[in-house]
Parts: sequence; structure tokens; C-alpha cells
Amino acid sequence: MPIRNPRLAPMLARLASLALLSLAATVAQGANVDVLLGDAAGNPLTDAVVMLEPVGARLPVKPLQGAQIVQHDLQFDPPLTVVTTGTAVMFPNQDTVKHHVYSYSPAKTFQIKLYAGVPHTPIVFDKPGVAVLGCNIHDGMIAWVVVSDTPLWARSAPGGHAKVVDVPPGSYQLHVWHASLAETTPPQLLPLTVGAADIDQRVRLGAGGLVK
Amino acid sequence: MSAPRHRWRGSLAARIALVFLVLLLAVQLASFAALRLSWTSHRRGELPKRLETGCKLLQTLLDQRVDAAIEVGRATAKDNAIRGTLFDTEVDEATKRRTIVSAFGSLKERAKASDVAFLDMAGTVLYRTEPVIRDDLAAIATYLRSKALASGSARELMLVDRKPYQLVLVPELAPVLRGWILLAIPLDDTFKGDMKRLSEFDVTVLARTAPRAPWTIASTTLSPAFAADLAEQPWGADAAAQAMVAVPTQGDELGVHATMTGGFGPGDTSFALLVSESIGDVVRLPEDLRMALIGITILAIVVFGAGSLVTARRITTPLRGLAKAAERLGEGDYATPMRNVAREDEVGALSQAFERMRVSIGENQVQVLRLAYWDGLTGLPNRARFRELVGDAIRDAADRRLADGVESSVAVLLLDLDRFKHVNDVLGYAVGDKVLVAVAERLARALARDGDVVARLSGDRFGVLLQRTDAQQAHAVALRIEQALENPLALGEHKVDMGAGVGIACWPSHADSDDALLVRAEMAMYAAKQRSDGPVTYDPSIDATSAQTLTLISELRQAVDRNELRLYLQPKLALEDRGVIGAEALVRWQHPTRGLVPPAQFIPFAEQTGFIRHLTMWVFEEAARHWQALADDGLEIVLSVNLSTRDLLDLDLPHKFGVLLARHQVAAASFCLEITESAIMDDPQRALSTLDALSAMGFKLSIDDFGTGYSSLAYLKRLPVDELKIDQSFVRNMQADRDDEMIVRSTIDLAHNLGITVVAEGVESGAAWNLLREFKCDQAQGYHMGRPMPVAEFSAWCEGWGMRRLAVDSESAPLLH
Repeated sequence: MPIRNPRLAPMLARLASLALLSLAATVAQGANVDVLLGDAAGNPLTDAVVMLEPVGARLPVKPLQGAQIVQHDLQFDPPLTVVTTGTAVMFPNQDTVKHHVYSYSPAKTFQIKLYAGVPHTPIVFDKPGVAVLGCNIHDGMIAWVVVSDTPLWARSAPGGHAKVVDVPPGSYQLHVWHASLAETTPPQLLPLTVGAADIDQRVRLGAGGLVK
Repeated sequence: MSAPRHRWRGSLAARIALVFLVLLLAVQLASFAALRLSWTSHRRGELPKRLETGCKLLQTLLDQRVDAAIEVGRATAKDNAIRGTLFDTEVDEATKRRTIVSAFGSLKERAKASDVAFLDMAGTVLYRTEPVIRDDLAAIATYLRSKALASGSARELMLVDRKPYQLVLVPELAPVLRGWILLAIPLDDTFKGDMKRLSEFDVTVLARTAPRAPWTIASTTLSPAFAADLAEQPWGADAAAQAMVAVPTQGDELGVHATMTGGFGPGDTSFALLVSESIGDVVRLPEDLRMALIGITILAIVVFGAGSLVTARRITTPLRGLAKAAERLGEGDYATPMRNVAREDEVGALSQAFERMRVSIGENQVQVLRLAYWDGLTGLPNRARFRELVGDAIRDAADRRLADGVESSVAVLLLDLDRFKHVNDVLGYAVGDKVLVAVAERLARALARDGDVVARLSGDRFGVLLQRTDAQQAHAVALRIEQALENPLALGEHKVDMGAGVGIACWPSHADSDDALLVRAEMAMYAAKQRSDGPVTYDPSIDATSAQTLTLISELRQAVDRNELRLYLQPKLALEDRGVIGAEALVRWQHPTRGLVPPAQFIPFAEQTGFIRHLTMWVFEEAARHWQALADDGLEIVLSVNLSTRDLLDLDLPHKFGVLLARHQVAAASFCLEITESAIMDDPQRALSTLDALSAMGFKLSIDDFGTGYSSLAYLKRLPVDELKIDQSFVRNMQADRDDEMIVRSTIDLAHNLGITVVAEGVESGAAWNLLREFKCDQAQGYHMGRPMPVAEFSAWCEGWGMRRLAVDSESAPLLH
């Protein structure tokens, strides 16, 4: 994975081992992985999602409870929701008008036809992936649901940092996603080995994927 | 003269009207031309703007189609059903295809597209309506996609299947971009129809696939020939920059506005959108306007023609009036005033000028009449007026005769001043004029009654008209007039003695018309002058034109041819030795029926008619002929021949005498020519020259009847006179009258002092003979010695004279002869 500055590599390795050591000193089992996400230009990327997917194994993942995407002011709220596989999401309509929520994403294809208030049944996102939601009536309404198959996920804050805590040591694929990625772009993966120490990872993302 | 008048009227007024009509037509034509020009330039001028607008309309139409297509496309893309069908993984492909294609079918209709297709994210055509386009839609879409990605949708004009198409690409968002809907809308006949319907312009779409390639016609509403011409023009950015390009084509011009859209699409196709209109159609005057102009022109011609004719008449009518007035003036009507005098224009000025002329001519007429009828110098009526007055008097008298039965007579006296010319010559014309004026006054004073008129007829001739006067009374008046003129006229430093010969003629006794009256009075006057014996009243015997006299005269002419004339001789004797020294030759007429006609009956006529010259010639020739015979008888005497005034005035006389002398071989010295004083004084200059010539030839000259006429001693001494003959009146009276005796004596002395011989005529007694001898007179002639006798007897008488002469001075009974 290309890092900004080649001369930084040895420095980073030293830092990583240091972090690991400190982490091992402080926390009992997991390390913290702090990913700093930026766009192609290097500006901090907010609302990016990082998922640490263990290589060759699957960590047990629990569905989240009480996930919902509200519709009010003719908008989905929140626009981005990260759930784990199997999470049921409710779509309460708080607008006075009816909405027709749909998605044609392979991760989840569904339709909640014209309704008001709270639909009877939630939508269960049972496949990992990214679903993009829209309203048939209101073209401007768009929401993303990232379904993570690993419990080790984080969402970047306005500063661009996404911190995954308690990461057991092992080999992982760092799966990075952002809304700016085109739907047809393959998953952006970065191999990452987590030891005892904390990791700080910088990632830059363009429209076509990871940028070196 | 009405025919020329008519012609004239037709021409001037008509000409004025014609001129104005021609001017009107010229103005109309000029304004028509100007209008056309203005129209043409205006229409042509506004054409670019209109074409530009048309082009905008074209753009708008094109945009509208595309906008409509996009709207419809978007609507379709948003359609739930279509979205569901497209992305629903549970629907089988065949159903999907059917549904989508049918949905696109209605989209195709609404968008007026020929083809509608759905492409996926990769750009592959997944579904499409029945293909019309043969070109590769995917390739087209690929090009459009790059544009669409930037701006959400794409719209382009492109050449597809070598035809112009409007291509539209709209995204399929579900809710993110999942594919594209492509619509292809051809610029077909419906488009052209819309364009034509909305804008009356023609649209031509030209395309070329490379920047410098020739243009091809992609679509056009023009006919192929026009479109082909347009395609040949080099349309480019600069042509597009102009508002209008004028393209000559097919005998017309097309105004073209070009818009370029270009350099895009596969192969860099660029388009030229041409909006055009025929300039010929544009600049043509609309039919109704043309008709209106023609109508106005015709109306104007009619109105103008009528108006100008009326106006022209206003000129020509007064002109004709003036022409008539001029004719009136020409005919002598100076009384009728002119019309139109009050007008203040040129016609009025002309009329006023005519009026002034009329008045002036009228006044002149009066003057002329006055001059015509009155003598300037004396203020008396002139000849013309006198004649009129005489005519009037005769008519009045005739009327009175007719009306009242009263015998009325009109008398005319004519008097000629004696030797007036001489007064002019000697004393000058100024004095002459004064003489005339004085005479006029005296004449006027001599007339007592009203209605009696004195007139000056000519130079020195006066006429007097006496109404209600008979011949006797007229004679008395004539005597009074003579008396009035007896006293000398006192004219400043001159005292002039004037006499006149007075002739009298009366109507109706002597003449029956004014002309005849005047002529006869004139004849009487001539007779009076000749006789110098007081006024003479007309008598047929003095009238050379009276019938009997006319006969006499014609007979006299024939008398010469018929040898009826006889030469008589009266002897002239010397008082000294009582010898026969000469003889006076006289003519006698032996008329076959009347016998011996007294000379007094034909000599005066001869003188009046001028025949006297023939008589003179006859006498001279006869005398010349007989001279030799007499000479042979021993009588070489001088023969005296009388010359009349006429003879003296004949400058050829000396020559004629010369011929006769030569013919009869007689010397001029054998002749003595006798001339009276008055004969000389009639024209002294000419008389003198003739006499000089005769004297030069050798003739002797003698003054006859000396003392009875008026002769100037100045002339007398100039004349080449050899002899003086004392008039018989003095000689006969000299024994009784002392004065006459004195005259005779003085005349003899005068003659001798002048160195000329003197002859006494009318010696009728021996006492007279003795007295004359005493007075030293040279010669004597008279009945006492011998009467005129036929020439044949003369010789014999002369023989007898030898005896008788001894007793010539006897105071007893006259000798017989």
C-alpha cells in the first residue's frame, strides 16, 4: 500500500512497533488501529468506513439493535448508516408526505412502497456490502447503508480519523469505503497485520479506489 | 376670324394643362421611384434583422424539441415502473425487454424520436426501440456521455446516417447513476413544416465532416437548385459573424443568416444552419400598395387635369377678352372700356395697359381728326373738311328743297393767290406764312353769315362755301373778296400786294355733286387768273371737259392732221421809215362746218390741255417753211412766233426748234419769239434757262403784252430780251388817258435805256402813229396798218403797202388793208 513518503516507511515501522509495545503495556488484548482517511488530494475524508476483515476467518458478528433511518425534511437521516450483517433497520417516515423507499443494490434490493409513519416490518440487511437507498418520489433523497461483516469497523470523523479499538492481533484486510466510490468499483482492500501495538494508518481514496 | 381663335384657345389652355399633367406624372413617377427605392432599401435593410430573428426562432425550435425530449426522457427515467423493470433482478430478461421497449415506444412518440435506447454504465446498448438509425449508437452515446457526466444530460446536433439528428442523453438514476437513456430526434419534414409555418423562412442545414471539406446538404426546405447554390458558398466563422449574406442564385438573391455549430461529434462534424429568404420577394412592393399608388395617380391625373384646365381658362378667357377688345380698337371702337381692369394680377395689369392704350388712342384719334380736317397754319378747315362741308351743304339744300319746296342754292368760290410762290422766294417762307394767315383773316372778315365757311385748300389756294346763295350773290361776294384783298397786306416791315383769281360755281346750276362743284369752281378760277378780269363764274365754254369743248378739242387735234390750220401774218412796221420789218405769225382754224373758229375759242383750251405746244410747233414750222418764199419775194423779214408758258417749260424746245430750222434751212435770227410776262413769271428759273438756250441759238426774244403782268425788273434785266411789246390797252388809251400816255412813254424810255427795241401794239389811228413816232417808239403793229392775213396774201399786201404807207400818219380814216 503506497504511503505518501517513502522515507516515512522506516519511521512508521518504528512508530508501529512502539505503539504496539505501548499498547501491549496498557491494554490487555487488542490493539487500536487509527486510520487517517484522506481523498485523492489529501484532504481529510469524513464518513468513510473502515472494516478490518480477518484473513481466512470470520469473526462472529452481532446484529445491531435499534438501527433506523428516519425520513424527515425529505431527507434520510442519517445519510450513512453502518450496520453489521443481519441488522434490521427501521425506516420511520416523519414527513407529512409519503415516501417510497427503494434500493436496487445487490447487497439489498427492497422496496417499501408508499407509506407514511412507521412501516410494519424492518428491513433486514442480511448480506455484507453497500446498499444505496433512494426514494422513488423524491429524487434528492439518498442514503447509504454499509453492511459490515466484521465487528471491527469504524467510521471516520470530520478530522478523517477512523479508530478501530481492541483489535486482536492477526492478519487483516483493511476494507475502506466511501460514498465517493462508484458502485461498480471493487472493494478497496489493504492488507494489514495487527500486532500488539497500535497502528496508525493513512489511506487516500480516489473515485476509482485507493490512491497510492 | 373665329376659326383661328378657336384653335388658339384649344392650344394654350390645353398646353398649360398638358404641361402640368406632364409635371404631375413626372412627380408621381419620381415619387414612385423614390418609394420603390426606399421600400427596397428598407425591406432589404430590415431583412438581416429578420433573418437573425428567424435564426433565433430556429434555435428555439431546435431547443424546444430537445427540451421536450429531455423532459420526456427524464420523466421516463424517473418512472418507478421502468426503474423497477430495468433493475429488478427477479424479472426475466424477455419480459424486461418487452416492457422496456414498449415503454420506450411511447417515449419515442412523445419525443418525436426515431430511436430510443438504454445503455448501461459501461455504455453498452441494452435495450432499444426498432432500429431506424444504422450508425453505431454506442459510439454516439460514448461521446455524449462525457458531456453528460459533466452537466447531467447531453444534447447535440450530429450527423447520424449522414442526416442531421438531435441526440439527447439523460441519466438513469436509481438513485445513483445506473445507466443512460439515449434519444435520437431527426430533423425531418415535420420539423421543416413547423419552421416554415412559424417563420416563412427557408431553413437549410449544411454539414461537413472536416474543417475544410465542402458542405453537403443535410436538410433543406429550399428547392434543390437553390440549396445547391447555398452549399457552394464558403460558410465559416466570418459568414456567421455577418448579419446577412446575399447569395446570388437562380436569377434571384437569397438573404442568408448563418449560424455555425461545429467541431464536435465523431469526426469533427460542423453544421451551418442557414435561414434564408428570397430578397426578390422581400423587396417587391405588395400588390395592394401598388394598386393604391396607381389608383392615386389616376385620381391625381383626373383632378389635376381638371384643376389645371380651370386655372388655365382663368388665364385664357381674359386673354381672349383682350383679343376681342383689341379687335374692337382695330375697328375704331374706342368707347368700350376693358374688362378685368380691377384684377390685381398680371391679367389685370395687361387689361389696365390696354385700357390706357384705348384712352390714348381715342385721344389720338381726336387729334388725328383735327389734323386731318384743319389746317395747322391758318386754323381754317382743310381740303378734306371743306369737301365734307360742301357735301353736307348740298345735302342740306337738297333736303330743304325736298321738304320745304324751297329753291336753295349752294355756291363755292375758289381763289388762288397770284404769284404766291414768288413771295415765298423773295421774302421767305416766314413772310409767306404770314401772308397766308393775313389773307385767311381778310377772307373770314369778308364773310358775313354763319354757315359760310372759308377753308385753306392747299398752298395758296382758298375755298369759300356760301349756303343759300345763287350765282349773282356769289359774284357780289367774290367782288367783295377782291376788294378786301386790294389793300396791301402789312406784315411787319413788308407791305405785300396780293391779288387772287376767283372762280365761282353753284349747285345745282353748274354741278350736281360736291366733287363736280369743286372741279368747276377750279376751272372758273383758272379762267379768272388767265383773263385777269375779275371773278369768273363757271360756264360750260370754259370747261375743257364739257361735252362741246371735248369735241372741239378732239377736232382741234385732228385739225393739224386735216390741214385745217392756217398761218396768218400781221405786219410789224418801223415807225421811222414805215418799212415792213417783220410779221407776227398767228394760227387760224378753218373748221369745215363752223368756218373760221375764233382763236379765243380754241387757244385757251389748247393752253389748258397742253396742246398749245403742238400749235406752237405748227406755227413755227409753217413760218419756217414760208420764210424762204417770202425772202424770194424780197421780204427778208423777222417772223415773230408766240410761245406759251408750256413751251417755255419744255427744256427740249430749243432742240425741237433747231431741228425745224435745219429742216427748212432758215436761220434762227430770222425769228423772234414772243413771250408774255406772266408766262415767264410762272417759273422764272426754267423760263430763263430755256430762253438763254434759245437766245444762244440766235433767236430774238420779245416780251409780249408788256405792262399787263407782274414782272420783276430784276428778272427782266437778266432775260436775253431783244424787244418789248407795249400792251395794246395802253396804246389804245394813250391819247385819252394821261397815265396811259405816261406809261407808254416811260416804257419806251425804259426799253431804250435797257438797249432793247420797243413795239407798240394796237395802233388803230394815225394820231397814235404820230404820237408813237414822237415818243421815239421803234415799231408799231395794229389794225390801222394791217390786220392778220393769210400768209399767201402777205406778199401782195407788202407790195400794196408801198403805196399806202404814205398815209399812215394821217389822222383821218384808217387805211384799209
